[in-house]
Amino acid sequence: MKTLISLVAGAALIATATAARAQSAADRAVEAAKKYAGSEISIVWEAGLQSLDPLNFSGPKWEELTGIKVKVIEVPTSEMFTKILQEHRAGTGAYDALNVIPSWMPDLVNAGALEELDAYVDKYGYRAELDSIAPTYRDNQMKVDGKIYGFPDDGDLFILYYRKDLFEDPANMAEFKAKHGYDLAAPVTWEQYADIGQFFTDKFAPKIYGAGQFRQPAYGIWMFEERFRNTGGKFFDADTMRATVNGDIGVAAFEGMRNDNKFMPPGVESWGFVEALSAFLAGDIAMTISWPPFGRWAAGYGTDDSALSWVPKTTIADKVGYALPPGGSPQLAAGFSLSVSSSSPDKEAAYLFIQWLNSEEISLQRVQLPYALRDPFRESHFTNPEYLSRWKDAPAYLKTLRAGADSGLLDLSILQIDKYEEVLRQATSRLWGGEDSQAILNDVATQWDALTDRIGVDKQRAAYTDWASKPNAYPN
Amino acid sequence: MSTLANDSGSRMNRFADRNFKYLVIAPAVLILLLFGIFPLVYTLLVSFQNINMMETDTSFSGLLQYRQLFSDIRLWESLGHTLLIVAIALPIELIAGLMMALLFLDRMPGRQIFVALLVLPTMIAPIVAGATWRLLFDNRFGPINQVLGWITGEPQAILWTIRPEYVYPAIFIAEVWQWTPFMFLILLAAMSNVDTSLTEAAEIDGASRLRIFFKIMLPAIWSVMTIALLIRGLDLFRIFDVIWALTQGGPGTKTETISIYAYIQGFRQFETSYTAAMAFLVIFLLTIAVMFALKRMEFVR
Repeated sequence: MKTLISLVAGAALIATATAARAQSAADRAVEAAKKYAGSEISIVWEAGLQSLDPLNFSGPKWEELTGIKVKVIEVPTSEMFTKILQEHRAGTGAYDALNVIPSWMPDLVNAGALEELDAYVDKYGYRAELDSIAPTYRDNQMKVDGKIYGFPDDGDLFILYYRKDLFEDPANMAEFKAKHGYDLAAPVTWEQYADIGQFFTDKFAPKIYGAGQFRQPAYGIWMFEERFRNTGGKFFDADTMRATVNGDIGVAAFEGMRNDNKFMPPGVESWGFVEALSAFLAGDIAMTISWPPFGRWAAGYGTDDSALSWVPKTTIADKVGYALPPGGSPQLAAGFSLSVSSSSPDKEAAYLFIQWLNSEEISLQRVQLPYALRDPFRESHFTNPEYLSRWKDAPAYLKTLRAGADSGLLDLSILQIDKYEEVLRQATSRLWGGEDSQAILNDVATQWDALTDRIGVDKQRAAYTDWASKPNAYPN
Repeated sequence: MSTLANDSGSRMNRFADRNFKYLVIAPAVLILLLFGIFPLVYTLLVSFQNINMMETDTSFSGLLQYRQLFSDIRLWESLGHTLLIVAIALPIELIAGLMMALLFLDRMPGRQIFVALLVLPTMIAPIVAGATWRLLFDNRFGPINQVLGWITGEPQAILWTIRPEYVYPAIFIAEVWQWTPFMFLILLAAMSNVDTSLTEAAEIDGASRLRIFFKIMLPAIWSVMTIALLIRGLDLFRIFDVIWALTQGGPGTKTETISIYAYIQGFRQFETSYTAAMAFLVIFLLTIAVMFALKRMEFVR
């Protein structure tokens, strides 16, 4: 009898454990969060389109499942770091969950603003699902000093978009080959990018220009970081920690960026996200380099949604080709990780919300929201049959994103990174102002060295060495 | 017991009678100390500490921050840009305001409507005015380049907010557009109060309009004009919104004013103590400038 009871009990235990295991990470988060029903958590989210995800989709759905309200605090990207740190310093506890740009994570962790998540990850069995995040994001945008502080939640990277109809036109192909001696195809070097851009501008401007892309300083720094590293540049001498951006490679990158403007539409120096998007969708430019939403909207995916009424109607659906930018290693350019504020009074509820958001099941739905800006970041996102069938060229699009996720270059992330980036932002605006590239970059190097000295050469060397040792810091 | 209470009550009354004036002004003084002086004292205290993004070192660090001020080239450049803006925008606003006030001094049909329309720009938040001008100056969608294109007969792609040769003109256009009406309104009010018998007598004596303006009108509005200049001068010294909306201090730091630099240091880079020291330097310089200006204008008397 005893044996029978033991067997039944054992079977029941195994069944319970199996059922628990069978539950997804999203389900576990929902079940655990129900005890907080009736409460409210806040989450800092980038203002604008990004926020439509928690406002229209994930926030209401979470409330329906758990009874926890989600208050979305919209903050422009340029102010997110400041606001998060200010609220932490003031100890207001105003923020529970956070969207954090991964390159800020070391600074925010050093300031004590982020909660370590390892204990929660183990408690709610999330480690296995974290492993299925694409390695570039998982291995580089999740931890500081070996501890988890954020869940990579956005597969940002720069992709080259080009007009297939122009590139595959026999007359264009023949003319280009005759002029340059090689086939017209998506450029793999910056020299080819310039050749092709100039070719189309010479032939079609002002109706169509060869290329057009972000030039505002906030974006320009990523363009420089990408081009600089793809042509062999290193930011610092790892031994002395003196800045090395002002060498020949840096100057060539700056000069190349300025020269490229010559085959871009007049006034490209002032272009940001919207200007580049509207020009590409209107068919005014043959190539652009930008984040993944450009590809979806250019194909017409989701642009009938009322939230996207501001996006110009695409005139180039089915004519868009996707490729990695010249050099083959795209800048990961920002991205977002989900974190918990260390000063939150509801850390566990905040954690459960971000686990649910980031889980396989929910993230797959979020990266397909037509109006949101979250881009594929899990292995399953790139191979999901539903996503692959969203538009005709979706397989090529996802394949390119997957390749970029492998070879993508991390944004520079060292102590007090915003100060280094501020110097680079100024440098970019001086470049468009017409100043000498060498002089600008000499100033950048001087100011970076002064910052390093002030922070402490040894401390900064340790941070840089740690960053540079990651496989995606520099091209392989 | 009641005698004691009566004595105490009468002492209170005597104290209140003797110090009535102080009791009356005490609430105002307390409010002034709380909201006016306390932040200043606190800022001064912070400027002698070492609080930044990574450290909250509240121990006394001497003149560390103040020493850094003197070697910070960007600070002095931003101060130079600020002075440049004050030196150019203030006279333009004054002269344009004066001319407009003279124009509207005489009765004319629709005068009130025109005055109301002219004053509209001052009612707009400066950041909104800046953002609007940014759109107007926009290379792709803005009408200014389009109009210039019609005039010159060829498309214009002037990068008003990017090229060094155009950024200051763009700032001055936006700033003068918004604040000349303020100068105009104050000067018009002052001119309207000038005794007309004086100007009429001068006219009868055959004085020219220019002579009447310089000999009668200007001395009569001098004190009001001084105040208007001081208010606008101080406003221009802390100019932030319009430039932030137009250029964010760029290209590079070419249009960075002291307020923009302080904002970047204080709220973007969290150099809290350094920014406090910078604030005190500005207060010190402004106090000297204002005292000097008031003395020169013999306004103190």
